[in-house]
Amino acid sequence: MHEATIAQSILNIVTDRLKSVGVAACALSVEIVLGEFRNVDPESLSFAFDSMKDFCPATSNCRLDINVINASALCSENAHNYRPVAELAYRCPACDGGIAKMVHGEELDVVNLIIEVADEEKKHARIAG
Amino acid sequence: MHESPDEHALERILGKNEEMAEHNSDHFQRSKTCVFNLMSAPGAGKTSLLEATLRSTKKQFTSAVIEGDMVGDLDADRIKALNVPVYQISTGRSCHLDAQMVGRLLHAESIVATQALFIENVGNLVCPAEFPLGEFRRVVLLSVTEGDDKPIKYPVIFRNCDLVVFTKCDLLEYVNFDLSAAEKNLKALNPKLKTMRVSSKTGDGIYEWINWLNSQMTEYQAQLKNEHHVHHAAH
Repeated sequence: MHEATIAQSILNIVTDRLKSVGVAACALSVEIVLGEFRNVDPESLSFAFDSMKDFCPATSNCRLDINVINASALCSENAHNYRPVAELAYRCPACDGGIAKMVHGEELDVVNLIIEVADEEKKHARIAG
Repeated sequence: MHESPDEHALERILGKNEEMAEHNSDHFQRSKTCVFNLMSAPGAGKTSLLEATLRSTKKQFTSAVIEGDMVGDLDADRIKALNVPVYQISTGRSCHLDAQMVGRLLHAESIVATQALFIENVGNLVCPAEFPLGEFRRVVLLSVTEGDDKPIKYPVIFRNCDLVVFTKCDLLEYVNFDLSAAEKNLKALNPKLKTMRVSSKTGDGIYEWINWLNSQMTEYQAQLKNEHHVHHAAH
């Protein structure tokens, strides 16, 4: 159950970014990409995130959006692009090759963060990397 | 270790662990310590393989061990009995070692002095795969009592390792474990993956395993030498 560790890492990234804004701000939503070839369960991660976000007022209203990315690989026999799935033991359906290169499916990144700056206009700001 | 990060990423979620693992790796390089991260399900025989390894390699190279367990130091006692320096990390509620836990031991005398450092991770085929520790090589043990479908059930850890060791091979005649099916399943995940078969009890395959360890240590030293030359050439 390392989803708690991952939820804490996301919250740490959010609070660090909030601090870097330099003015009082709170997070409204954080978007992550999660490859299906990572050992992370989206439901457990959401549960852990929602259980932990209240510890800091600046994240207590933050929503976690998880974009699950399907795996896609190039096969070892003919460089076919295919989706490795357990039912086929992760082999290429066309030629039975293995995973030579994983193109997608190993992502675990924060990609977007929406914050609210606490001034009188309640201006929304998007932080880009 | 994972090769498909998102190009739009603001930040890698486990980036702090990865940075810490890099930091550990730098320390190990300075002390010329070759580090092996041993992972498996609980009960696959990591400690038994270590005992067999340490008994047979005393005259070849110096070793130290880090034992990762959720509770207790039973495994560490077994290593201590062989007069090999051993450090226990009790992870408490955590189901894996992380780079920060290992980082606290970087300056331990026997770890700085040793040629080979074996890190026995917490028995678990899920979480340890996500947390590099600064190791040179990742080894996953798969005991023949577990089932040849394990690579299909736990693809991430078996894809992201350098060697899979089939353990308890003395039991092969008593269990329905299809070695060639297991090997085929592993090659589908990583066509370059190397496998070998051992029995820590009878000693079968231990010689090949130790040869592999020696070859990796030689490769590690050669890499360090090359980097040293490159570093000097740059100045």
